[in-house]
Amino acid sequence: MTTKSAFTGISTKPPAEENHSCWSCGAMRAAHFCESCGKVQPPAPVDYFAFFGLPRRQLNLDVAKLEKDFYELSRKLHPDVSARASAQEQEWSLEQSSMLNDAYRTLRDPIKRTQYLLRLEGIELEEQSKSATERARATGETKKQIVPPDLLEEVFELNMQLEELRAQKKMGEDDPALVEEVGRQKLELEERYDGLLEELENYWKEWDVLIDRGPEANAEERAAVAKKMVDVLNRRNYIRNLVRDVTAVLES
Amino acid sequence: MAYSDKVIDHYNNPRNVGSMDKSSADVGTGLVGAPECGDVMKLQIKVNPQTNVIEDAKFKTFGCGSAIASSSLATEWVKGKTIDEALTIKNTEIVKELSLPPVKIHCSVLAEDAIRAAICDWKKKQGAEKPVAAEAK
Repeated sequence: MTTKSAFTGISTKPPAEENHSCWSCGAMRAAHFCESCGKVQPPAPVDYFAFFGLPRRQLNLDVAKLEKDFYELSRKLHPDVSARASAQEQEWSLEQSSMLNDAYRTLRDPIKRTQYLLRLEGIELEEQSKSATERARATGETKKQIVPPDLLEEVFELNMQLEELRAQKKMGEDDPALVEEVGRQKLELEERYDGLLEELENYWKEWDVLIDRGPEANAEERAAVAKKMVDVLNRRNYIRNLVRDVTAVLES
Repeated sequence: MAYSDKVIDHYNNPRNVGSMDKSSADVGTGLVGAPECGDVMKLQIKVNPQTNVIEDAKFKTFGCGSAIASSSLATEWVKGKTIDEALTIKNTEIVKELSLPPVKIHCSVLAEDAIRAAICDWKKKQGAEKPVAAEAK
């Protein structure tokens, strides 16, 4: 069931249990404006995907359309437009506007979009890490590091090299062999960084297929894909920092 | 965000920075990471096999001030403790000592993980040193 709002041009899929009528004219309303009288509506407590009328928690989305919808809604929610409306309507416009900006900034960025989805799915990385440590303390079991040990080794070693190169540069006598070696690693890291985004996009596809089958189905499979996405994001954080630090040292 | 005086002190004068021979039988090495921020922390302990007392500890951390301070403090605390005593150190005690804000709690978790990982590595080595006779077929 997809309705097309006459005022926003955005297709919306209001959740069945949350059918609201317009506060002003009583007609059934779309997400942001009444389809009948066009008045701004109070912000609904929905996630960012629903805010833009997107299919439920789907990771592959049409960013060009998202941008178009964003600009259109921004215009309609602009304070100048509602300047002559009631104080209550102006307040709603402002709240909708602020949510619009947050939703757009989050969804247009592939990494932020994935992190947001994982949060919606109740995956709190820091919380998980903390409770794993507490479990290790209580049971004496070994906590499994979420990042592969060889990546940690690699990050550590490269940081040692960077520290050495930084010290050499300070003295004005950098070793050309080390500069070349670090430069080579920089290229390799940048390649891996791009590769991780591709890997993530593959998991989006797996995710969307599972979501399509319904919200309650295959919880285990979904958790498995979510875990793979978490893995990619974790590795990406390390590679991102390395690229940043290597670049800073080479350019210093 | 302002760092507490204790964090700044550990950051400016980190205790026990360095490394020990990873392959030595009485040295345990823990290498752990906090992927949220991309930090890596290496903590090493040197244990007296007769008394199980940690006689020396070294660390090297690449990360923020709180991660460096947490690991620096961790090396101070484990020194002189037995293995079993060191295993009781809680990340919350590090948070309290360094007045870490909520966003930096993961740094203290990392330090506790590093202590445990180092002890685990040492224990493994002790096990390997003394092969169990019953395993021989």
